[in-house]
Amino acid sequence: MELILFYLRKLFTIFKNEVIVLPSRVVVVLFFLFVLLLPVFTKDQYILRIFTLTGIFAILAASWDLLSGYTGQLNFGHALFFGVGAYGAALLNLHLHIPPWGSIPLGALCAVLAGLIIGIPCLRLKGTYLALTTLAFPIILIGLVFAFSSFTGGELGISGISKLTQARITDYYVVSVLLLGLGAIMWKITDSNIGIIFHAIREDEVAVRASGVNTTRYKLLAFCLSGFFAGIAGGLYAHFMRIAGPSTLEVSLSFQVVIWAIFGGIVTIYGPIGAVFLLFPLLELVSFWQEYRTLTFAFMVLLILLYMPDGLFRWLRDRIEKECPRCKVRNVATRNTCRVCTAPLD
Amino acid sequence: MNKFSKRILFLALAFLFTLSFCTILFAEEIKIGVIGPMKFVQGKGHWNGAVLAAEQINARGGIKVGAERMKIKLIQADSNEFLSITDATNAMERLMTKDKVDFVVGGFRSEAVLPMQDIAMEHHKIFIDCGAAHPELCLRVARDYKTYKYFFRGTPFNSKYLVQAAFIHVGTVAYMMKKYLNIPKIKIAIVAEKALWADPMIPASQGFFPKMGMEVVGVWRPSPVATDVTAELSAIQRSGAHIIFTVFSSSVGIPFARQAGELKIPAIQVGINVEAQKDGFWRATQGKGNYVICSNTYARGVQDNELTAPFVYAYIRKYGEVPTYTADTYAAIMYALKPTIEAAGTLDSDRLVSILENRVYLTPSGTVKYMKDAEGRPLHDLTFGPGFLTGIATQWQNGRLVGVWPYHWKMTPQSPEVTYKGIVPMKLPPWMYKAYKK
Amino acid sequence: MNLTIDIIISGLINGSTYALLAIGFSLIFGVARIVNIAHTAFYMLAAYCIYVVTQKMGLNSVWAMLAAIVLVTLLGMITYKFLINPIREHESAVLIATIALAIIFQEILLNVFTGTYLSVPALIDGYFTILGVKVFYQQLLTFCAALLIMGLLWALLGKTRMGLAIRSTAQDREVANLMGINEARVAMMTMGISVGLAALTGAVVVPLTIVEPHMWLSPLIMMMAVVVLGGLGSLKGSFIGAYILGFAEALVVFLAPMGAFLKGSVALTVMILVLLLRPEGLFGVYFEEER
Repeated sequence: MELILFYLRKLFTIFKNEVIVLPSRVVVVLFFLFVLLLPVFTKDQYILRIFTLTGIFAILAASWDLLSGYTGQLNFGHALFFGVGAYGAALLNLHLHIPPWGSIPLGALCAVLAGLIIGIPCLRLKGTYLALTTLAFPIILIGLVFAFSSFTGGELGISGISKLTQARITDYYVVSVLLLGLGAIMWKITDSNIGIIFHAIREDEVAVRASGVNTTRYKLLAFCLSGFFAGIAGGLYAHFMRIAGPSTLEVSLSFQVVIWAIFGGIVTIYGPIGAVFLLFPLLELVSFWQEYRTLTFAFMVLLILLYMPDGLFRWLRDRIEKECPRCKVRNVATRNTCRVCTAPLD
Repeated sequence: MNKFSKRILFLALAFLFTLSFCTILFAEEIKIGVIGPMKFVQGKGHWNGAVLAAEQINARGGIKVGAERMKIKLIQADSNEFLSITDATNAMERLMTKDKVDFVVGGFRSEAVLPMQDIAMEHHKIFIDCGAAHPELCLRVARDYKTYKYFFRGTPFNSKYLVQAAFIHVGTVAYMMKKYLNIPKIKIAIVAEKALWADPMIPASQGFFPKMGMEVVGVWRPSPVATDVTAELSAIQRSGAHIIFTVFSSSVGIPFARQAGELKIPAIQVGINVEAQKDGFWRATQGKGNYVICSNTYARGVQDNELTAPFVYAYIRKYGEVPTYTADTYAAIMYALKPTIEAAGTLDSDRLVSILENRVYLTPSGTVKYMKDAEGRPLHDLTFGPGFLTGIATQWQNGRLVGVWPYHWKMTPQSPEVTYKGIVPMKLPPWMYKAYKK
Repeated sequence: MNLTIDIIISGLINGSTYALLAIGFSLIFGVARIVNIAHTAFYMLAAYCIYVVTQKMGLNSVWAMLAAIVLVTLLGMITYKFLINPIREHESAVLIATIALAIIFQEILLNVFTGTYLSVPALIDGYFTILGVKVFYQQLLTFCAALLIMGLLWALLGKTRMGLAIRSTAQDREVANLMGINEARVAMMTMGISVGLAALTGAVVVPLTIVEPHMWLSPLIMMMAVVVLGGLGSLKGSFIGAYILGFAEALVVFLAPMGAFLKGSVALTVMILVLLLRPEGLFGVYFEEER
């Protein structure tokens, strides 16, 4: 009893001193609460469906950022990982009768394999060449899917996959917990030594090589990690929709992911997640205005790019927080002096 | 109570009263969801057919459900199925949970209808498919009757019969060519778009045409959205084909017909070409799509039975064009749902299913009887054949789309001869006469 | 023998279409480092413009072509000034902005014209037969246009002052600025030429294809494959890369008629293989890291 109270008090102190202090962290906590407590406020199947799909696409978008934002290797074919994860999970489930909690990770491993296969040729390419080459891979895979249509179901895809869980609400929780968990893992990765190397590779790869780091290994690692997380998203999608088709490999999906990530802000994990949570339900909400939906979406993206080229959430964060010039710690924008070193902030 | 709370109470009572009044008003309506790719011709057909049916029914007071009469309220859902399967499933879910429809009609792309079917079945709502031809949709009914029994196919008959009908059309053309051009052995080229639904048709045709005495000179598989097929056409011409058997459902049907017409390829096109069913085909091919024959459901002047003409002309009067098969949402509402509801006296899905699956009824395109499979399990699929549903074949003759089959057609030598009212004889292109008549 | 002629002619025709598109794309990338994903969207706009002028207003195809080229070029320059110029520094932002722009064009056209498939009459109707193969006059026009444009561009870039300015800006923007060349105006001019080329391609190629709001997607993929294969920024590379991929496609269609749908995938595989051996494309210049 005493022990529990002790830990609770510790938690409270940490909360007061570390979280409340910065508005961005408060927002993250609120976001966690929102995602976890949504079913308490609404039992509407349709809304839960929308947010489950949002969660799946958020994992996908965050995984893109891990690869293309942090290491700077612009991947325009991210749908490849999503599609391979989806088809992998679907085939394993249909032919080998592996239940979802097995087929999804195995499908993600297939996506990792795909990551290696495309990562290796892409090692020598940079910038736009890389972007355009990665664009090609999902298209080639679609061609293969159609060529071997007896195995892959052709344009009909693979249907009759088992459900993710028995009820919509548990589906939602599985996806949300995975989102929060994988998002946290991705955040931790970028916060670690590996993350520092990713940042460095983006900024100046030659300098990193000169420092003795094997950039090839790290670039491939980025591809594989990104592929794994995207593959999980693909597997979840296949089991949730109960169908895995060539629509998971489409160019428009790759573009969509890139747009979400850049809209939200690259080189942050929270940017793409926030962007998906903002845009995807918004687009569904405007469903009564069907004809102009995509148009408004594109317009919004264009406006954001004109005025906030670093992404929406970066811009917002810069509005509400200031960095201390002396100790580089972030503070609320309304403060006059830094909370850590008391240097004047302006 | 003080004055304030009295006012609140009064307002609350007034609100509740109006609410209950409104629910009484709304309770009088049957909600039917119409789901389809609304920005495209197929979805517009879904919506137009349904609107026509709802207007006609509501004008006569609605559907009699037990003691009261209920009007139909249509709810449009854009599935956007050509571009996003996710959107299609979201749209179906919205119909089920937000709009709380009682029935759903529509659907087109098989890849989208499969998951949409799952959602409708989960909610135990009758879903009449008006567009997807994949047999799997009905095989599911036989395999898992308890879950899928609420699903019925409205149109077209499934792809196996589509092929059979197309073969019959080819046979008619071959007979004409033998008669008028004296060609001893007819050569036929198979051109099928690369799509899953077309795959089984290739081995089927390769096996069937030799039995009809024709020689298959080649198989070509352009992409469904190919825009330049001159390469394929050159090769086809070199192969010496007299007939081109087309299996197209996508946009490739237009450039193929146009370029074949422009290059005056000496072969006649017959088969499945969904684009050629539309009124806009003539303009889309710049007038070069002449003499193209394709399977179809409706055409001006053609009457399958006494219901066809009133439907076709009402549709033309209201919308200015001939209905395509997706407009059979009209038949789904008017002839499938309405009489079943009136016979059952209730909107309960289970009761309606048990009545509907045993009915044999007339629709503007023929007689509907639902099939059972070899083991006697219900498939809720459409029966094909003379006296039931046969479809028609239409040909573009100098800017007009006319019906050319069934014309003195016998399914087997013992069957009675069938010719629908309004069918005219087929014509062969003049450049073929020039090429082959000695 | 007939098969070889078919393949050669088909390859030449396909290659010309891709060459026309790729040259414009490559030009703007070389000069202003802008990856204009909306390049084929401008091509689509030109197609619809021609449709409106010929089908709705009933005028001759030639007027339609002129109108299309002028209007689309103007639109291109306006979008450049207001949408792309402000964010030129952020390459990835420009990429997304052009994607968004293309989607906006697509949606506007989808709402105005709906998804129905439309078509446009040919400038010169009819066909002729060469060595046993039937070729449309319109296809011959495409081929001649490609050669003509290449020649004109070569003359423009090599012999005129404007061309000199463009070439120097492409090589080194900062130094060109230092030498007194108005870099912003050069970029604007190049954008105009690039979009004008897209519009011209639309005018010439569109009678051979179907006009619908998604027609910008498939040429985009092929065009980017061509440009990457040839080397970004190299006009000669784009030209030659276009014909290589054109022939690759023709080979697939003729030698594997059952696999005609695979022509896109094969072309892209060729591109990837070349990139494995030569990461900067066939004729590309390996740019130093941006300063």
